[in-house]
Amino acid sequence: MSSETIDKTEISRRSFLSLAALWSAVLPAIALLGGIFRMVKPDVHYEESIRFRIGTAENFPVGTMKKLDDKKVFIFSTDNGLHAISSICTHLGCIVNITEWGFQCPCHGSRYNQNGKVIAGPAPRSLSWHEISQDIDGSLVVDASREVPAGTVLKLKA
Amino acid sequence: MRKRFYLWVLFLSGLVLIAYISLTTYKEKTPEWKKHQAEYKELLIRNAKDEDIRKRAREMDIRLQQLYLGELNRIDRCISCHTGVENPLMADEKVPFKKHSGDYLKNHSVERFGCTVCHLGQGRAVNKKEAHGIGRETYWDYPITKLEFIQTSCALCHDLTFLKDKGGEKVVAGERLFRQKGCKGCHKLEGVGGVLGKSLDGIGSQPIAYFPMRYIKGEQTVAQWIREHEEEPRRVVSDSQMRVDVTPEEADFLTTYIMSLRAEEIPKKLRRLTGARLPDEIKDEGEALYKMYCIACHGSGKESVFDDAFKRTIPAITNPSFLRVADDKFIRENIEEGRAGTQMTAWKSAAAGLTEKQIEKIMRYTTKDRPKERPTQFGYSGYKVNVNKGEEIYASRCASCHGEYGEGGIGLNLRNPVVQNADPEMLAKTIRDGRESTLMVSFGSKDGGLNAQGIADVVAYIRTLSKKEYKLH
Repeated sequence: MSSETIDKTEISRRSFLSLAALWSAVLPAIALLGGIFRMVKPDVHYEESIRFRIGTAENFPVGTMKKLDDKKVFIFSTDNGLHAISSICTHLGCIVNITEWGFQCPCHGSRYNQNGKVIAGPAPRSLSWHEISQDIDGSLVVDASREVPAGTVLKLKA
Repeated sequence: MRKRFYLWVLFLSGLVLIAYISLTTYKEKTPEWKKHQAEYKELLIRNAKDEDIRKRAREMDIRLQQLYLGELNRIDRCISCHTGVENPLMADEKVPFKKHSGDYLKNHSVERFGCTVCHLGQGRAVNKKEAHGIGRETYWDYPITKLEFIQTSCALCHDLTFLKDKGGEKVVAGERLFRQKGCKGCHKLEGVGGVLGKSLDGIGSQPIAYFPMRYIKGEQTVAQWIREHEEEPRRVVSDSQMRVDVTPEEADFLTTYIMSLRAEEIPKKLRRLTGARLPDEIKDEGEALYKMYCIACHGSGKESVFDDAFKRTIPAITNPSFLRVADDKFIRENIEEGRAGTQMTAWKSAAAGLTEKQIEKIMRYTTKDRPKERPTQFGYSGYKVNVNKGEEIYASRCASCHGEYGEGGIGLNLRNPVVQNADPEMLAKTIRDGRESTLMVSFGSKDGGLNAQGIADVVAYIRTLSKKEYKLH
């Protein structure tokens, strides 16, 4: 009898060892796979950030408009607050010009009203409004990846 | 038994792998910048002036931040640690949370210019050691510029005329010293300058590996190398012949200027260079030119000095008795052709790059105190010379200073073409009258002990020196 018990413990010890060995191989494999999948999403991109600072509110006195050529955006400052309208034509990506009645694309004649809504031409959609927010240090940030409904403005505290 | 052994191997190596992976993951998940940003966030919440800012601070997410600078072809991740660089609330905090000092960022927005364009360092690195690139085992060629030399970077985009009263005093002072200490006497810059030293074009962007750092006491950077080399050239480079005399403060200024000589060019759109030059920089007069190209060796030119590094005497070129016997043509030829076999460079436009006009101006400047009275004629052509006799006299009277083969020493080198081709009449007059306030005495005087015939013989012998083989002892 006694020899049997010894045998049993021997077996369970061995099976414990094989289980432990198996898991010690499987766990790193899972961790490695996890690491590999983590790489799919990079922390930063090697490209111009579509979220950018445009300076403090002092640069945008009420009642003015600024066209930021390299960022492809119009910044309007009105009594209500600030808003940013993309200057990329929704038709084929030309940069639209500002006119007294709204925007006009020089390439194929698309027209938009002052809120960026299409009124004529081949453009399929209205000009997008970008989210504009204020950062902790007081500077304004435009996020071109986030579209907001037309008419949304950033109210600045006096 | 065998199977058990393999199971143990698998189990143990699995354990090692688990330990390694957890360590790596931990390291990867807790980088330096995360700690800094977390601390910055806390600071923000504490410093917030009103509830609104506090709320926004709480919402701040901690993530790797970078500036993509398309125009400059750079990516700077410095703001991952230096997060508060533009935040006025952080004016009194300690580095790395502190706001940038001064109002430099007003015209140089971080968004557009980034950090490394002025401060250097490795913009893409995400830990301090690699980003700053300073210290042992860092292999970045352009480590962060020390603040004492930071004005170097201003000169990349701005004229010195602009910088002189707008925070660029050091680099302006350095440029002035560069002109007045005669650096270009040995160092070429933009094609003009002597050849004894290294050309300084683009020296500010040369990699550290070009500079032997063995004897540098301070930090191992190119700027520090240049500063220590200015202060003690022969400690840094044992066989350096550099003649330089600067105070530690002047060395700082000079280094700041020299480091601004970079090869890299900032895109035109971002530069503010108009080409305007300082008023005293334009001056192309004899004195300015003399200082720029000659003063490092010749000094005031009044005394002849034996130089340890050159192993020869630097002649007194404004010595009155020299000017008395040497005519303009001889001096001009000396400047243009240099003195082969000595440290004197040929300054003609094909060599060191001075124009004929500039050489003329330098010559006018050095000869401006030429004594009015002319020496009496010697009449060399009237003597029947005996070269062998001349050799005897030379060996006993001249060789001790001028060397057995005329190779020079305390006295000047007599083998070089300029002396060899010089008017024998001039040589004879020089031997007869000597050179005031130098070791060259007047051999024709009562104490000199040479008669006119002897002088003529020696001159004849001297003119054969270049044909004698020069043997080192």
